[in-house]
Amino acid sequence: MRMRSSQDIAAGLLLLAFGLAGLWIGADYPMGTAQRPGTGVLPHILSWCLVATGVLIWLKAGLAGSPPLSAWAWRPAIMVTLATVAFALLVDRLGLVVSMIVSMTFTALGTPDTRWREYLMFALLMLGLGVGLFIYGLGMPIPALPTGYPWK
Amino acid sequence: MEIAGLLANLGLGFAVAVSLQNLLWCLAGAVIGTCIGVLPGVGPVATMALLLPVTYLLPAEGALIMLAGIYYGAQYGGSTTAILVNLPGESSSVVTTLDGYQMARQGRAGPALAIAALGSFFAGCVATVAIALAAPPLTRLAQQFTPPDYFSLMTLGLVFAIVLARGSVLKAFGMVFLGMLLGLIGTDVNTGNLRYTFGISDLFDGIGFMPLAMGVFGVAEIIANLTNPERAELASSKLSGLLPTREDMRRSIAPILRGTALGGLLGILPGGGAILASFSAYTLEKKFSRTPEKFGTGMIEGVAAPESANNAAAQTSFIPMLTLGIPSNAVMAMMIGGMMIHGIVPGPQVMEQRPGLFWGMIVSMWFGNLMLIVLNLPLIGIWVRLLLVPYRLLAIAILFFCCIGVYSLNNSANEVLMIAVFGLFGYLLMKLDFEPAPLLLGFLLGPMMEVYMRRTMLLSRGDPWVFLQRPLSLCFLLLAALLLAFVVLPNVRKAREAAFHE
Repeated sequence: MRMRSSQDIAAGLLLLAFGLAGLWIGADYPMGTAQRPGTGVLPHILSWCLVATGVLIWLKAGLAGSPPLSAWAWRPAIMVTLATVAFALLVDRLGLVVSMIVSMTFTALGTPDTRWREYLMFALLMLGLGVGLFIYGLGMPIPALPTGYPWK
Repeated sequence: MEIAGLLANLGLGFAVAVSLQNLLWCLAGAVIGTCIGVLPGVGPVATMALLLPVTYLLPAEGALIMLAGIYYGAQYGGSTTAILVNLPGESSSVVTTLDGYQMARQGRAGPALAIAALGSFFAGCVATVAIALAAPPLTRLAQQFTPPDYFSLMTLGLVFAIVLARGSVLKAFGMVFLGMLLGLIGTDVNTGNLRYTFGISDLFDGIGFMPLAMGVFGVAEIIANLTNPERAELASSKLSGLLPTREDMRRSIAPILRGTALGGLLGILPGGGAILASFSAYTLEKKFSRTPEKFGTGMIEGVAAPESANNAAAQTSFIPMLTLGIPSNAVMAMMIGGMMIHGIVPGPQVMEQRPGLFWGMIVSMWFGNLMLIVLNLPLIGIWVRLLLVPYRLLAIAILFFCCIGVYSLNNSANEVLMIAVFGLFGYLLMKLDFEPAPLLLGFLLGPMMEVYMRRTMLLSRGDPWVFLQRPLSLCFLLLAALLLAFVVLPNVRKAREAAFHE
């Protein structure tokens, strides 16, 4: 069953899933009248279009074949996501410096050819730039360092 | 068109553009554009998305002048990398690598760079005048548009985006539909009902354009680039003899003229832009040449034509955005984002309500082109140095600017979480060979189309045939149908695939 890993079969299924979810969640949105189309009109049309497109892509891939999925870049994907999430969760609680250090280290962990000494120098440069430009320069209302009891 | 009116308008624009502040923003845009143009893997769309929050702090004129500068600056920078390193700094300079790099290997990098810059400058000047000439009549036309006309025009724009997207047409369809559906998330403005919010209060106002754009274009690209970092090898670091010979100039004049004309026309098409223009100009030049077999071995025509074309198209693609308020590609979507941050609703009324902004931006493009040629030719050595910054460090900086940029918009950490989600989603789309640009256009146009659809239905008392009864609307829809019929025909499809693969 090599077909299963085909790129376009996955692509078709993705659109199909979005379309079905759109229909299912939007099932009770009011349709209104022809003169005053309601909340549900466009979501319904678009969801059906997504279902149709998804099925067509799927069928076409099944009949004509499509290139196999290339390997996933798990490490960069996970680490870059963690870096972003870490920044989001920490910046209000622990301030800019801590969130930057954690976030930048995650990015560096996701990079295949990180050189740690070079990273250290660059991270210090970025910290200076971040605090100098965004807190002192632009006056953004974020603390630079943790204040009080961040866990409360 | 009255010459006096045109001159008065350009005079007004000149007054706005030469203010010290605006000149500085123009310079900033041109410099940033050149930098990211030189760097492969960092494109104008991602950069503009990154800088949108910063433009919030500037006056509207300065913000738009700078954003515009980034786009056409990137066209200049992209050619530098293409010629010297055989890596296209921008996707629009892919064809420049064919002959430009060959010239560099023959020790003629100087003339190639000079012709690319001069051709771009010429194209930029012509395109600026073209915008100034075309904008007023188009705006007047747009003011007569009724709701069904707008709806059909937007449909046409989306169809263009689908037809001109790289790769599968079906997938581009899917992206447009999905983008429109994402655009509907949040409160329905007409009825106050919530759609697809899952009870999450951050979604009540809808998904922000910025988190979506930065996630799909910025974060997703970081993930993809970290997987296979490209190493830049300088082919010829020696840059002796910048000046092209008289023979080079003579051979370049006609290609520059043809490239400018073709690029300018293709730029106006919705969905068109710099990439398509450079490919078509190269193909056209091959047709015109008496020695087409020599293309790819270092023909100066193969540098002059596509470089002029991509710059002309980069600038004329502002025309539909400025006059109709309709983004024709992802870069213009960013420009619209920039306008909306400043509370300006893009559309034909901008020219009347904010003439200083409108004409100032157009005139600033000419200044920007002048600055770029001054910046680029003597300083090429410095720009090329930029390639020595490894991507592993750039990635750290770009991701940080993405995070802090989105955070600074509303001081909302939840919007930063959204770019993490959209980053992964964008990477998934990339893996499945979906192009994100139609998604973004659908996202912007979807909600607008819903508004116009409702107005139309209200005015026509529920009669949908009105879309086919208004002459303008009918024209747009017929054109859209014709385009779609064309793509489905096998012959055209083959030609289209060939054009994108060359």
